[in-house]
Amino acid sequence: MSSLVAHRKAINRRPVGVRVSFQLVQPATPEEAVRLLAGASAGQMSVLGGGTDLLIDIDQARASPRQVLSLRKMPWRYLRWEGSSLVVGSTLPLRTLELDRRVQQQLPGLWEAIRDVGSPALRARATLGGNVGRCSPASDLLPMLIALDARVRILGPSGVREHPVDLVLQESRKTNLGPAELIESLIFPSAAPSTYMWQRVQPVNDISQVGVATAYLPDAPHWRIALGGLQPRARRLSEAEAVLRSARPTHLEQELAAQEAARRAEFVSDKRATESYRRRLVAVMVRRALQTTIDRMPRPAAARKPSR
Amino acid sequence: MMRSDAEPKARGALEYGTDLEAPGMLWAALVRSPVAHGRIVHMDLAGARKMPGVVAVVGPDDLRTLLPKAALEVERPVFPLQEIRYRGEPVAAVAAETLAQARRAAAAVAVEVESLRVDARIEDIFPEWPSAAAADDPHVVGHVHARHGDVDGKFRTAELVHSETYRTSGVHQVALEPHACLGEIRDGTFCIRTSTQTPFGLREDVASVLGIPEAKLLVEGSWVGGGFGGKGSAFIEPYALLLAVASGRPVKLALTYAEEFELGRTTLPAVIRLDTAVARGRIVARRVRLLLDTGASLPGRDFAVGYSIGFLLGPYRTEAYDIEGYALRTNKPPFGPHRAPFAPQSVFALESHIDGLARRLGADPIEFRKIHAWRENDRTAYDQPVGPFGLEAGLEAAARTAAVWRTGIPAGHGIGVACGFWSTGVGAGGEARLFLQPDGLVILEGEREIGNGSVVRGLSVVAQRVLGLPANAIRIQYGDTATAPFDSGVYGSRTLAALGQAVEKAARALEKTLATRVGAPQVRLETKNGQVLVVSGRRRQKLVDLLTPAERAAGGLEAHGKHYGAEKKVDASRVLEGTVYPYNDFAASVHLVEVAVDRETGHIGIVRYAAFQDVGTAVDRPAVEAQVEGGVVMGLGTALSEEMMWTPDGRLLNPGLLDYRLPRIRDAPPIHVDLIEGFAGAGPFGAKGIGEPPIIPVPAAVANAVADATGTRVFELPLTPERVARALKLL
Ligand SMILES: Cc1cc2nc3c(=O)[nH]c(=O)nc-3n(C[C@H](O)[C@H](O)[C@H](O)COP(=O)(O)OP(=O)(O)OC[C@H]3O[C@@H](n4cnc5c(N)ncnc54)[C@H](O)[C@@H]3O)c2cc1C
Repeated sequence: MSSLVAHRKAINRRPVGVRVSFQLVQPATPEEAVRLLAGASAGQMSVLGGGTDLLIDIDQARASPRQVLSLRKMPWRYLRWEGSSLVVGSTLPLRTLELDRRVQQQLPGLWEAIRDVGSPALRARATLGGNVGRCSPASDLLPMLIALDARVRILGPSGVREHPVDLVLQESRKTNLGPAELIESLIFPSAAPSTYMWQRVQPVNDISQVGVATAYLPDAPHWRIALGGLQPRARRLSEAEAVLRSARPTHLEQELAAQEAARRAEFVSDKRATESYRRRLVAVMVRRALQTTIDRMPRPAAARKPSR
Repeated sequence: MMRSDAEPKARGALEYGTDLEAPGMLWAALVRSPVAHGRIVHMDLAGARKMPGVVAVVGPDDLRTLLPKAALEVERPVFPLQEIRYRGEPVAAVAAETLAQARRAAAAVAVEVESLRVDARIEDIFPEWPSAAAADDPHVVGHVHARHGDVDGKFRTAELVHSETYRTSGVHQVALEPHACLGEIRDGTFCIRTSTQTPFGLREDVASVLGIPEAKLLVEGSWVGGGFGGKGSAFIEPYALLLAVASGRPVKLALTYAEEFELGRTTLPAVIRLDTAVARGRIVARRVRLLLDTGASLPGRDFAVGYSIGFLLGPYRTEAYDIEGYALRTNKPPFGPHRAPFAPQSVFALESHIDGLARRLGADPIEFRKIHAWRENDRTAYDQPVGPFGLEAGLEAAARTAAVWRTGIPAGHGIGVACGFWSTGVGAGGEARLFLQPDGLVILEGEREIGNGSVVRGLSVVAQRVLGLPANAIRIQYGDTATAPFDSGVYGSRTLAALGQAVEKAARALEKTLATRVGAPQVRLETKNGQVLVVSGRRRQKLVDLLTPAERAAGGLEAHGKHYGAEKKVDASRVLEGTVYPYNDFAASVHLVEVAVDRETGHIGIVRYAAFQDVGTAVDRPAVEAQVEGGVVMGLGTALSEEMMWTPDGRLLNPGLLDYRLPRIRDAPPIHVDLIEGFAGAGPFGAKGIGEPPIIPVPAAVANAVADATGTRVFELPLTPERVARALKLL
């Protein structure tokens, strides 16, 4: 028998299950919000969007902010089409996007990714800004945002900057946002045939074992494949995209792209799925998502008669 | 008829365990072990005692001084004096003015433990199937062996032997309301208010754990936010009472949801081996082996094995069998009952096995079951008589539905059938006290409604049927263990079937008294303008006018009823070791399910479901149908997704509802409920218990449907997509 000595260390920080009190700050304008953030000492002030991630972190004692800055009064609960690009305010509840017919028609993959986040009640609170801000490796939205080349508009003390979402994301709970910066909106440059597929053990309020986003964009490189459920976060798989050489790749090309994606993705084994199962899922789901995306492409305008 | 508790529950007006309060109440928190197996070397409670708001901190030493007679050789001693036996086992407890203060102080206790070897899994103890010497292994805490007929001979001459091994996982009851209680010492009496299925059983149990006389303990049930077997014997109550002794104040303890999972009394994993000998297309002999993980349990766990193993013989005629099972002590919390304890797991193994065997023989799975099915007057494996039993009728109804579903079934879909039996706990006793007042009937009760309706609705329906009173003239009044009549508790599907018999007797006694008073052969009651009227033929008399002055002074006419079931016997010559469980009143379930299997990912979709349920008499049809639907959905959780995951060092990886996956409403398929009546049970008006039977065949039915769809059998529960994918050799 081993006689290791184990310790249950005395915990001096706040244990799980003990509520913390914080001061809620509700600035009236974006400028005021940025000013307040800039004036706060490091790590003392958290930004609250829908709160579906932040409040759980506070409850589980992963975060214990002194102050919480609410974005409730920000004029960012909008959705607007500028030509064929869609601009979504960062604090718009996901539910509004889900109920928008045009979003469903023009960005079907984004709509699919949003539709199955949590439950209807959760989507009535959760926001795109919060999903990017949390940067969860398991996020269902980030693969689609990446595949659609979404851009993030960031507001900070020195004004506004705009970057592709891929450059803003880092790893779980970490983005390239400065301490006094806020996500103001997300811009989807163009409508695109697109597809999002996930697999979970259960459809509602479960974490996706993998998520697969595919899109066909107007600008080259047209095909985009991005995966979620991998470490340290969702990413594009350009090697797999490169296999696809036309708007309507053959079954063989789809299969090869899917296999390339499965080979390249950095999966790990955890309690939700083993690494090998995740690879297996990707091989199947990338192929299916590509086919669905092809099926969603507009039919060529003048259907030519088959020439013999 | 609207349930009397529905509206106040919707308004949040009823007090659950978590709502309990008392003036001057303190909050409790538990200090829990950091390892799954070890000895406490040092524990420093002094620091916690000095923390803000802390009123009492108790550890093993305090237990010895405050309650010197507390039992230590029980599965859940208040604190382990010698050995920590599972991770998270409470080693000390704190009471403070606020919950936050209690939790902070509990977290501040440092514990130093000498770690011992952890045996968290069955494979750690018996990597191979145990040999005959296994019974002496110190991990074996229960051993049952029964045998009948010329088993070896039949296996030797069999035309075919079908052998398989199945594995099942631990499942949690997941009552929405966590365990919660409030303890206080009033004039030397230990008083506990708690969310429990069994106030009287709890009184006995808590008294023995604390080492106090039962007469010194008063138990009062709160409303129960779901039990499913998890709110039976003593669990958190001793901590609240110990802290109440130490602090002199009322103490409330409510578990966090993580604690619910980490301390819970749940079903644990099992390994089941089945060998079946066949001659001329029929089963002629069976061998059954069971290894049952019983967690940190003590020797004497025969009951658990004997009980579980019976389901492995099934509702089938068995000429010759040899069944043997071991209960194994592992470093997990002591196991406990979960709706139809261990039946869904056993039936998953047995009915998968039978289904596969039928297919191997080229027989129709339903017909093959019918050939072997118990009918009334058959004898069970332990030579007990089978009473009226709706299995054959259920199989026939299922065959008709299956034939309809079969036509036009899409590729990738499959249909599975499974059946099971249940033995309603009509043996356990109970008493009823009815009080007929001028304006209505009062039923006096010790146990609260646990959610299924068997108390608020079931008991009242029995009284309605006997007396003719409308539902709104019947009220249930709840008492504590000092004022309410004794009852064994809400478990074993027995409330209506057993306690209902006591209510029926009391109601009949009332009826008889009144009939005598009006000089009629029988009477019926009705109400008019809030007055109870006694009706005989065309005569209607006010009840008040029929009461004696003494009864009028007491407020009404009282009647008692008792039901204590006769002890059932098994043929003891067949039992070589331990004890097998004698059965009472048989109820059959036959379930049918259509699934869609994704052949590339292993994902299972439930397309539709039908449950053919032998209920004796449905005395309250909507309630029975609701129980069947609920049982099916809960069973789908066991079948597809629910699984407690432990690491080899005994840590639970998924102590919460994110990764312990309970079915949600979106997972519920269309469920067709077909109640089979006419095979009378022992309950009032021929009712059989219905709480547990509908969960039993669900995992097996799903597994059989998957086999039908894919030709591949999955040997382990739950059938998660990854497990199915492995069975399909996709990875
Ligand atoms: C039950 C449940 C189920 C869930 N299911 C899913 C699911 O299926 N798929 C999925 O992807 N996610 C899921 N989530 C996670 C979560 O709902 C999403 O990540 C959601 O989009 C977060 O948005 P929020 O507005 O609630 O974020 P918040 O909690 O408000 O914020 C999250 C983080 O982002 C920061 N932040 C918020 N807004 C901004 C902003 N405008 N600018 C800068 N930083 C900001 C916050 O400071 C915080 O660090 C689930 C969560 C729960 C509780």
